[in-house]
Amino acid sequence: MHCNDQHHHENKNYSRRDFLTKTSLGLGALSLGSLISPVNAYGQSDFLNLLDSSKMKLPHFIPKAKRVIYLFQSGAPSQLDLFDYKPKLNEMFGKEVPKSILGEQRLTGMSSGQNSFPMAGSLFKFNQHGQSGAWMSELMPHTAKIVDELCFIKSMYTNAINHDPAITMIQTGSELPGRPSIGSWLSYGLGTDNKNLPEFVVLVTKGKNGQPIYSRLWGNGFLPSQHQGVQFRSGKDAVLYLDNPPGVTSGIREEQLKSLKKLQNIQHADIGDPEILTKISNYEMAYRMQTSVPEVMDISDEPDYIFDLYGEDSKNPGTFAANCLLARKLAEKDVKFIQLYHRGWDQHSNLPKGIKRQANETDQASAALIQDLKQRGLLEDTLVIWGGEFGRTNYSQGMLKPDNYGRDHHPRCFTVFMAGAGVKKGITIGATDDFGYNIAERPVHIHDFQATLMHLLGIDHEKLTFKFQGRRYRLTDVHGNVVNEVLA
Amino acid sequence: MLIEFLDFLGSLHPLIVHLPIGIILLTIAIDVFMRNKNNSVQRVITMGWFFSFFSGLLAALFGWFLGDNGYYFESQINIHRWSGIAFVGLCFIIWLLRYINFRFSKSFNRSVNLTTILLLMVTGHFGGEMTHGQNYLFENLPYVQKKISLIPLSEAKRSETDSLFVYEDLVYPVLEEKCIACHNQNRAYGGLNMSALESMVKGGNSGAGIQNGKPFESLIYKRVSFPHDHPKFMPPSGVPLSYDQIVTLEWWIDNGAEKQMPVTLARNDPKIQRLMELQYGLDLREKTYLETLALASPTPEELKPIQGEEFIWRFLNPEQSFLDLKFTKKEIETNDLLKIQSIKKNITWLNLTDCMLNDNHLSYLIDFSNLTRLKIQKNPLVTNKGMEALQNLENLTELNLYGTRVSNAALNTLGQMESLKKLFLWNTRITAKAIADFKAQHPDIEVIAGF
Repeated sequence: MHCNDQHHHENKNYSRRDFLTKTSLGLGALSLGSLISPVNAYGQSDFLNLLDSSKMKLPHFIPKAKRVIYLFQSGAPSQLDLFDYKPKLNEMFGKEVPKSILGEQRLTGMSSGQNSFPMAGSLFKFNQHGQSGAWMSELMPHTAKIVDELCFIKSMYTNAINHDPAITMIQTGSELPGRPSIGSWLSYGLGTDNKNLPEFVVLVTKGKNGQPIYSRLWGNGFLPSQHQGVQFRSGKDAVLYLDNPPGVTSGIREEQLKSLKKLQNIQHADIGDPEILTKISNYEMAYRMQTSVPEVMDISDEPDYIFDLYGEDSKNPGTFAANCLLARKLAEKDVKFIQLYHRGWDQHSNLPKGIKRQANETDQASAALIQDLKQRGLLEDTLVIWGGEFGRTNYSQGMLKPDNYGRDHHPRCFTVFMAGAGVKKGITIGATDDFGYNIAERPVHIHDFQATLMHLLGIDHEKLTFKFQGRRYRLTDVHGNVVNEVLA
Repeated sequence: MLIEFLDFLGSLHPLIVHLPIGIILLTIAIDVFMRNKNNSVQRVITMGWFFSFFSGLLAALFGWFLGDNGYYFESQINIHRWSGIAFVGLCFIIWLLRYINFRFSKSFNRSVNLTTILLLMVTGHFGGEMTHGQNYLFENLPYVQKKISLIPLSEAKRSETDSLFVYEDLVYPVLEEKCIACHNQNRAYGGLNMSALESMVKGGNSGAGIQNGKPFESLIYKRVSFPHDHPKFMPPSGVPLSYDQIVTLEWWIDNGAEKQMPVTLARNDPKIQRLMELQYGLDLREKTYLETLALASPTPEELKPIQGEEFIWRFLNPEQSFLDLKFTKKEIETNDLLKIQSIKKNITWLNLTDCMLNDNHLSYLIDFSNLTRLKIQKNPLVTNKGMEALQNLENLTELNLYGTRVSNAALNTLGQMESLKKLFLWNTRITAKAIADFKAQHPDIEVIAGF
């Protein structure tokens, strides 16, 4: 390599004396730094191993779950109309939220200017279901039938008050973009269970409006890029640009990739950029996916009773129900992290109508997925999660009418439910106050939730790290405690 | 009578001990800071040494009585006692030398002063440790991490939760720290000797120490749980028992105060279990078979046969001894099953789904003794005959048979497998009625056969 002289112009008038005077102290400090470094203090190898997760033996303990299906409900479903039954709000329908409950904390710009914060009890009927007696609204009749399989966390809370930072937070552990997504961390930590499919697959419900979903949510951040999520689309090309161009046979493509790999290996030997290896593995994965993806996307041999279980929508590719069915197929193929996104839960106004439509689209298929996994024995080692990025307010955004209201963003409490591997069945963890505004019992932060998820997969969330920009990062960064009450 | 009086004098030790400290410091200060000392100043200094000696003698004497009453361990007192006596002796010698007008050189005088102050500091420090606790000196410094005082359970003991006993590991160490100094076979105050369980149960002059199963009627429990200003509250001095220690004691007596009561009994009581987890750092959750199994990691030689594309496997634990292995091809052959024989002890999860597995193949799994989870679903060639081979898998907890051709008769075989906890029978030839009967017979086996 040639040095460009222009880059060195500043050094032209640097005398030996300058050099010695200006660097002697610095060199001293450098050597002092190495003398008192914790690496030497703690005994080199152990300390380094603790920090370097590539040398850690994963999993850190015997896992309960081998894979995760995350049914992400983007836009934040209203916990008050689905799971978190608050008769007090109906009793006090239209009255102001008491000052003592509201507190001093921020509201979004969308409702902070309101003169009044009238409490809006849910228009939907709640009932207790199953032996566990879990409360569910009439919006989710199918899920209500399987509550004894579920573990509700009603005391989730997050930091962010708006969609983008909140989704980024729950997916990557940080409100700021740029960190790896949960699925990427798992791929990086645990590797693959099926060499023909990516470890991290993303399915987005087609044709939905609402808050945008974008690929950095399943991005690998600073992890090597083979750990990024791969979106499988509905329709002809599940993965874009996977098929060979017309006239190129599989044999030619294989030859081409082999030659390319040779060139890339030379390049890697020369400059040692790890992303070159990533590139090679991505090409190879794409080649294997040419046969494995069409196979897994093909639902033609599913019997009718399976379509009946998931609902009529499941025959229509790209719907939430069809994606749930696909998620099961991917789970059968041992894909490690299957992330579904369903948009459209952001009901600032006209909530009763909107949430009815949303529930209709997701309820049956979500319940069906859990049942289907169970009868196949997959629920033993698959963790299913259902939930959004934050909750919704107990007061109405905009005008409260007897039959119509809207709800604003509410990060202070929301509900998610989980089912499957290593999770207690038929229980509810945490509780909100009678107004459904603040958490009354066992708060669970996003980072606690993430730590628990990793724990179920056999990972100590404090030990899976990646060094980037001079420090070691984790999914939960410096936060997070495993929610032991969840563990079976 | 005499003993009680000596105890009273002993309790005056902390009061009187500060007299010599003050006097000697003032004396030395005069000596050091006054220039041009005339005769009367010299006499004041001599007098100072005398009063230091005299008040020090009283303090040492009272201290001796205090140390003798049994509240303190000899190892704690030792340095304090002897450095204190050395201090008194030194004061006496210096006073005597000054009294007979022995000429002090300047340097000798200086080193005498220095030695005295050092002795004073050593004595004071170790005295302070006894009254204020071992870390009194630095514990309130900012940036010093405060230690939570746990009953010292070694790391080794903590990991062996199953072999811990309540009395030996949790109760006795507390008694030893708080009670046994005064209640032992040599010095049984109130006639009570707590150094052995039997004599503690028997009790002392006031009656039985422990009433089995009745903590609130047991004197031992009552004395430590009285209000602190109650005249019979125990221990009479020092740090009282903590809430957790008292609750542990109560729980132990409540459950019969047996010597052999295992700590794992706490699993029956969520409150106690939580306390054990928080206070003693114990993990009391029920351990699975795998968690108790120590197994060597397979050698690279043993792993060689499974390096091919037909297997995907990974280790399940950081010790790298348990294997989760999956067969990936569409058709399995006998040869494939021969390949995994070298690591059969290590395979704990085995997945042979949808690979044309037949009954004959299953006989190769007959001695996979550590197999806990076996997935052989979607293999239509598997029938009742194959179940006989599985019968010997004595640690199998989970068996997935959905999509196989097992029928009602298979349940007879499966019902005899004692370790079995979960059985997946969806889409088999087993009838709903047979499943219902099986569930009634084996309530501890969860059978999942579709919805």
